[in-house]
Order: sequence, then structure tokens, then C-alpha cells
Amino acid sequence: MTATAAQWLDRIHALPHSGRVKIMNVCGGHERSITMAGLRKALPAYIELVPGPGCPVCICPEEDVFEAIQLALNEDIILVAFGDMLRVPVNVKKTRARTLEQAKAQGADIRPIASPTEAVSIATANPDKPVVFFAAGFETTTAPVAAMMVEGVPDNLSVLLSARLTWPAVAMLLESGTPGFDALIAPGHVATVMGPEEWQFVVDKHNIPAAVAGFGTDSLLAAMYSTLRQLNEARYFLDNCYPQLVRPGGNKSAQAHLNKAMNVMDANWRGVGVIPSSGYLLDEAYSRHDARKLFPSYAEDARKRAGEMPPGCDCAQVVLGKIYPNECRLFGVACKPRNPIGPCMVSDEGACRIWWSGGMREPVAAKQRKAAVS
Amino acid sequence: MQDTHISLAHGNGGRYMRELIDEIFARHLANPDLDVHADAVPIDINGGEVLFTTDGFTVQPLEFPGGNIGSLAVHGTTNDLAVAGAIPKYLSLNAFIEEGLEIALLERIIKSLAQTAAAIGVKVVAGDTKVLRRGEGGGLYLATTGVGIRSGHLPGMGNIKNGDAIIVSGPVGDHGIAVMLAREEFGLRGDIQSDAASVLNLTQAAMQHEGLRFMRDPTRGGLATVCSELHRATGMGVRLTQASLPVRDPVQSVCDMLGYDPMYLACEGRVVAVVKPSEAQHLLETWRSLEEGQDAAIIGHVDSNIQHVLLETEIGGERILEELEDDPLPRIC
Repeated sequence: MTATAAQWLDRIHALPHSGRVKIMNVCGGHERSITMAGLRKALPAYIELVPGPGCPVCICPEEDVFEAIQLALNEDIILVAFGDMLRVPVNVKKTRARTLEQAKAQGADIRPIASPTEAVSIATANPDKPVVFFAAGFETTTAPVAAMMVEGVPDNLSVLLSARLTWPAVAMLLESGTPGFDALIAPGHVATVMGPEEWQFVVDKHNIPAAVAGFGTDSLLAAMYSTLRQLNEARYFLDNCYPQLVRPGGNKSAQAHLNKAMNVMDANWRGVGVIPSSGYLLDEAYSRHDARKLFPSYAEDARKRAGEMPPGCDCAQVVLGKIYPNECRLFGVACKPRNPIGPCMVSDEGACRIWWSGGMREPVAAKQRKAAVS
Repeated sequence: MQDTHISLAHGNGGRYMRELIDEIFARHLANPDLDVHADAVPIDINGGEVLFTTDGFTVQPLEFPGGNIGSLAVHGTTNDLAVAGAIPKYLSLNAFIEEGLEIALLERIIKSLAQTAAAIGVKVVAGDTKVLRRGEGGGLYLATTGVGIRSGHLPGMGNIKNGDAIIVSGPVGDHGIAVMLAREEFGLRGDIQSDAASVLNLTQAAMQHEGLRFMRDPTRGGLATVCSELHRATGMGVRLTQASLPVRDPVQSVCDMLGYDPMYLACEGRVVAVVKPSEAQHLLETWRSLEEGQDAAIIGHVDSNIQHVLLETEIGGERILEELEDDPLPRIC
């Protein structure tokens, strides 16, 4: 794959086409590259690029964020979490802490981190205090957490795990009968860890073309070209357009760590509901470091339901690619990065946040009004 | 302004800082000589054009590749005078020093400040020092006020016309990334130098061009913020071409890794000029003939057909550059 992005774009423009084609990506990094390069404007109009479930912060269940907030407020601990998680709001009265950031302002010891190794160093530096690592993420961030557990962590470090697998969400969409896309760009970094084969089911079971892509526009456009051509020729296969990093079988040692430290379980996705075999659970062997076993539960049963988005918030629809970010009634009106209502406006990997920072800010309703006038 | 408390975003050069300045400072301090949107303002003293400006410096770390808070305190203020078309003459200096700061470090910084001022030909003629209790400051804060004299004429933002060319004097984002790497927060290393430097040669050369409309140094908020300011002040859009934008490879690599956009990163030694289209090539050649302007480039133009700052991406797409909201790198100046 030595062609440049411009060459792939030319090839896409030269392809014959007969109607609208929707290509879904399931990685916040992909959506960011697409938006920042302005690819939607550069591609032929018949191609629609729709962001799908690619943001782990966005689907982290509300009850898990709530539990992390309550743990940090009520227990004498240091809570560490990836920076993005600190601003994700939960649905509680305004008088209570709605985000980890607000809990921090109320005096809880909450520290943002960028990598699991920082959790270890904070625990080492504070041997007299329990440190709880609120670990939300997909396979790519969960593998280093698993490695950390297997290699051994300080006695005072425990994990509040909220980890998810990507492919089951895509499987759920495909099995729903209304997947809402005609081709799939599979996530390159997940495939680096888990192997591209995980995505073979998209082609084999559902007859949908798929291609693994990296974050560069060259790789993304190559993957788009591949799936468009597959559609044209009605010959579907799983293409690897990120061969520099994605190897057959993936990263065996990362998978070994995941297999040792974690078990797969059915898991709740915020606003979506329970998706079979889509979450990780710490293995019994690591109970000593499982925050859910070490601390009293702050879970409230009433919170454990599918409809966990604030009123009016369409994040769940955005996550599933059912609507575009600017089709949400709150987008850019009540919901902005500085006062986000839904999680998709919080995370750098959230589609709403990406569209907003990439200048795609016009609400679709306003657009339609304009079209009606002109 | 919706906020009830100051956050770091109120200091980032973007929208929240603008709102804070407009709604608190400008509202209370308004007088005919105060222009919160200008880099330096003329004060009418017996009909002469004396320009007056001030700036504060809180950069962390205090020393970084290519400069330190002392050299920055001179460059920041004298550059604001320079882009307003003036030759800097005098500075005042306020130093807020935190208890516990190593004196050898302070001396290094002040020595560098003095050398920087001497090189530009500006004198520090007034000053004040305060010491803050331990924990109340970041080691050292500096504030400088500058006075300069303008002999030529600079039309200003109000005279910008549709089609005017936009030129930048060199690669963008070096300062932001150099300071960020010097903090060693991301486990990244690199030898990127800050571009912190005087822009006086560039601005004085540009002042000789009749078609010159306006100049600004793209500091906090970077090039995108300067273009947003142009758009807001003129009511016309700005069209930029990514392919013509000078960005050094190592700066772009760090941006790609950490998700920053070089369009929004601070420079401390660059100038953006708006110039009549027929004069653009001439000014470009003038700048390129100077050491500070070797990599100057025409990066876009004013376009009254659009109502935003539009970036034509390398791949042929388009992206709207909005006013900066969340600061990627606080305390870079």
C-alpha cells in the first residue's frame, strides 16, 4: 500500500456508483482524522461516513461513573482515572456531585492519569492510602491494565473495571436487522491487539464489506476504497489497510494478559443496554485488587437501566450511528464542550466533541431551515 | 459569560478569555485611550505617535529550549509594539517571585532578559519586585510594560478588503510544543526549539510596503485565533490552505501523537500580515530575504463569500476553524 491519500481519493472518485453508501467507523481516532482532514467534503456526495460505537468514555455505564464518584467521596482513598472520565456527568440532582471533577472540587482526592503506569506510581508514592484505578476503556486500554495486574501491582492499588469489547456492539447492530451502514471500517488499534480476524464475522455472517484502517488519511481512504470496490464487485472480504501494525493473530502476549487477568461477561453500555459478551470482569485470582470486592457497593439498583441519558440527550443514538451528532436537539445549543450534557460531548473520542472541535457545528435543524428558504 | 469562577480556559487566548476581558476588564476600565483588541495603543502626546502596551508572563517551566521567562518577557511585549508598527523604546518590569526560588536561576533569567532587551535596543527604565509566599506562585511571574514610537502609518483591521492576502513569517507551533516537551509530562523528548524572538526586523520591513493593512503576532491561540479575530473584526471570512502552511515535521509529529492542532498552538517569534493582493508577493520576498523570515508563506486570503475561518485541507477537504475553546497547553507564555 504505497499510494498516497490523494491517489486513493482519485481512485474513489473514479469508481462507478449507483446510490448512497454509508460507511461506518467504530473508532474515535478514525472519526477525528476524518473530521480534521475534512474528508466528508472531499469524497463524492454519495458516500456518507457515519461514526459508530468508537468511544469508550461515551458508553461507560452511568452506574459505574456514579459508583466511582461515590467511592471517591465516601472512602478515604485516592481515585485515579483517565482525564476524559472526570467530566462525564451522571443524572443526579444539581446539589450532588455530578462528575468526578465536581467530587474533586468537593474535596475528594481524584487524580487524572494518562496511562496505567501512573496509577502504579501514585500507589507506590502513597503506600498508606488505598488507590482505586477507575479503568474504563476498550481492548486497547484494557490490555495494559491486564498486563499491569499480571505483572503485579502494589498492595494498595485496586481496579474499578469498566472495560468493554468493541466487536460485540457492531455484532449487535448487525443482528438488529437495521444496522444503518453498508460497509465497515474496522478499528486498527483494536485489531493490532486482538487480531483482524475478530472482524471476519462482519463479512462471513452479514455479507458486509469490511477493512481495517489506521489513523492516517491514506489508510482510511484505502479502506474506504476497498469496501466501495467490494460493494461494486459484490465480492466481500476483510481487507487489512493497516498492515504496518496489524498482523494476523494480533498481539499474542497482550491477549495472554487479557485471558489471564480478565473474563468476558455480558455488560451494560450507557444508553444502549446490555450487550452479550461485551465486557471484561477481573478474574477471581485478582480479587485482592478488585475495588468492587474491597469497598462497599455504592450502586443504586434504580440506576441500572438502559435509559441512562439525561433528558433530551441523544448520545445513545449517536453512539450507535443512528443519527449524526448535529441531529441531536441539544448539540451546540444546551450541550457544548464546556458544559456537556451527554458523554459524547465530553471525550476527545466522542463524535459530538469531534464534530464540534472540527467546526461541524451547524445543527441539522438550522441547515434544513436554510435549505427550505434558498 | 456564564461562568462563576475563573478557570484555566479564561487565560487561553480564545473565546473565554475574550469574554472575560470584554465583560470584566473592558467594562470597568473603559476610556478613550484603551483598546482591548489592540496589541499596543497610541497615546496622543503633543501629536506624536507613542505606543503603549503591557503583558504578563507565567510560563512553566521557567527555562525551555530556545528561551526563558526573561527573554519571553521582552519578546512578548516588544513584539506587541512591533506588530503595531512601532519601534520599542522603553520597558518597565514587575517581578513576582515565589519564596524559595533559587537566586542563581533568577539571575540567569534576568541576565537573559537584559541581553534580549539590549539586542532589540530597548531599555528597562522602571521596575518593581514582590515576593509571594511559598505555594502562591509558580517560582516567578514577570510583567512588562512597553513604550514605543511609530513613525510610519499602519491602516489597521478596519481597512482590510476582500481578497487581501494573509502571510505568515515562519513555521507555526514551535513555541507551544517546545514548552510542552520541556515539561516532560507526556514522556516525550525532542529537540524542538521555541521560536521566541524579536519580530522587529520583520515588522519594520513590512512597514515599508504600501499595501500592508494589518499585522499581529500569533501567540496564545495561534494562527487560528488571529484569523478568528480578523473574521470577527471585519465581518469577512478567511480562507486558509493547509498545504501552504509552514509547520516543522517534528512539531507536526508531536501534534499527531497528542491530538493537537498546530493551527492553535502559540508562536512567540512570528508575524501574520494582511496585505493587498498585488503586494503579497513583494512582501513575501522581503520577508524571505531576512533570516527571521526564510520560511515565510502566503497561507490564504480574506474571502467575503464565507462567514467563518475555513481551512482547505491537504486532501482537498474543508474544515471550519472555530475560535479556541479548550486550551491544549496552558501557561505557555
